[in-house]
Amino acid sequence: MSKPPPSCRAIEPHLLAVAIGEAGPAAVERVEGHVAGCRPCREELGHYRAVDGMVHTLRRAPLPGDDATLARAQLAARLADVRSRMVGFGIFPSPLGPVLIGRSEQGVALVQYLPAMRSLPAHVRRLLGEDAVEDRAATEGLRADLMEYLEGRRARLDWALDLRRVRSEFQRRVLEATAALPYGAVTSYAGIAARIGAPSAVRPVAQALRWNPLPIVIPCHRVIGSTGALTGYAGKHVDLKQRLLAVEGVRTVASHHDFKVRREAMYTLMNGEREYCLPTCGSLMSQPLSTLTLFGARERAEAAGFAPCTTCRPDLHPLSA
Amino acid sequence: MGRVMAEDAFEAVVGAHHAEIRRYLLRITARASDADDLSQETFLRAFRAYRALPAGANVRAWLFTIATNLGRNHFRGQSRRRRAYAAVAMEMPMGAPERADGRVIAEEARARIEQVVNGLPEKQRLAFIMRKLHELDYPEIGTSLRCSEESARAHVFQALRKIRRGLDGHLPAGTDSQS
Repeated sequence: MSKPPPSCRAIEPHLLAVAIGEAGPAAVERVEGHVAGCRPCREELGHYRAVDGMVHTLRRAPLPGDDATLARAQLAARLADVRSRMVGFGIFPSPLGPVLIGRSEQGVALVQYLPAMRSLPAHVRRLLGEDAVEDRAATEGLRADLMEYLEGRRARLDWALDLRRVRSEFQRRVLEATAALPYGAVTSYAGIAARIGAPSAVRPVAQALRWNPLPIVIPCHRVIGSTGALTGYAGKHVDLKQRLLAVEGVRTVASHHDFKVRREAMYTLMNGEREYCLPTCGSLMSQPLSTLTLFGARERAEAAGFAPCTTCRPDLHPLSA
Repeated sequence: MGRVMAEDAFEAVVGAHHAEIRRYLLRITARASDADDLSQETFLRAFRAYRALPAGANVRAWLFTIATNLGRNHFRGQSRRRRAYAAVAMEMPMGAPERADGRVIAEEARARIEQVVNGLPEKQRLAFIMRKLHELDYPEIGTSLRCSEESARAHVFQALRKIRRGLDGHLPAGTDSQS
């Protein structure tokens, strides 16, 4: 087959464009002028038009396997799952430093103290995974509640919670027992272990609280060591624990690199009793902290539903501040 | 609750485009199970990125871009693609015995077109399918294939030339009525 003349080769792209209806008026005119005097190109134009017609038929032809029903149903389920895991978060300044609050469809999923670090977005992504989006509007109300709480103007954070970040059934029990501690009260890690019926699991309790996804909301700051030392909080931030307890009226004294709750300065409740006492009532001072709940103020004990002991009368002989 | 909930608009996106995106993926992968998986993946990715999409963006073209990327990643192992086509080719009746029936001839021409298209280099094949079977514009195809609008057009034209050559002898003769 001989090579077509240069004029035919030059017209070929335009010929193709005309055949598939993508040529401008100038190109159409040029092609029409050429094919009027060139039979091979006229035929080629016809061939390309035929090809385009066949391709058009192909587009409309039924396609084997073209049933999206199953994929669509599976997609709906996966989207619902992603949606329910999706966390909208806000990062706010607070008296305790920057705090992140994240919430899902189900409720508040995460509260975190944030380090003042440069790689904050990377830190947040590690914390929340890929299904997290900054959503200040969704978390603004939570921020306002939290500020009131930290300023001592609110004693409860009655938020719907999303507990799917809880790692185990054991941790869930620990967090539930911790959430039941009244505002302004403290007990020991061993006390929580006793409450969940696992008295020897003191270290596991401490670990479970270490990974509390919702600090402040689930008040792990109210759980202290059996000697009264605050022991630990949010990594090395035992000072935050001290400040949270101070807001609730629990006084502490500094001791080495820690703080200590002094039992002799606390109103004392024997677990299971309905009356709170002075710390010196009966044999209370010799009881292990795990069997007790300590309150920094009488008002807190009474707000939690306990009455003053009729023997030691803490209402008549309040502890001096 | 704020924007997290505003994703309901995404349901409309799924309703409007899922069937077509799956059809596109079916054309490029030739396997219904791959089209199922990749179409779901396309929309899951789209869902996560949807909020960042500027208002007024061409959602359909954007979905084609995501699907194209997933499809191309899927084909990184070329052998997988060849196996898929081999399996499909086995099921396809080639060379119909009866030529008298016009329908049979059309079927044969169609099979030839599919055969040529399946043998095209990846970008030409994808550009052809997007342009001629899904009617996307060249700038959109260029975006999907990370090439210029001109390159996208050149890919489509090149594909059409190869199809035309592949149909030699199957095209109606004497379309030239003036001779």
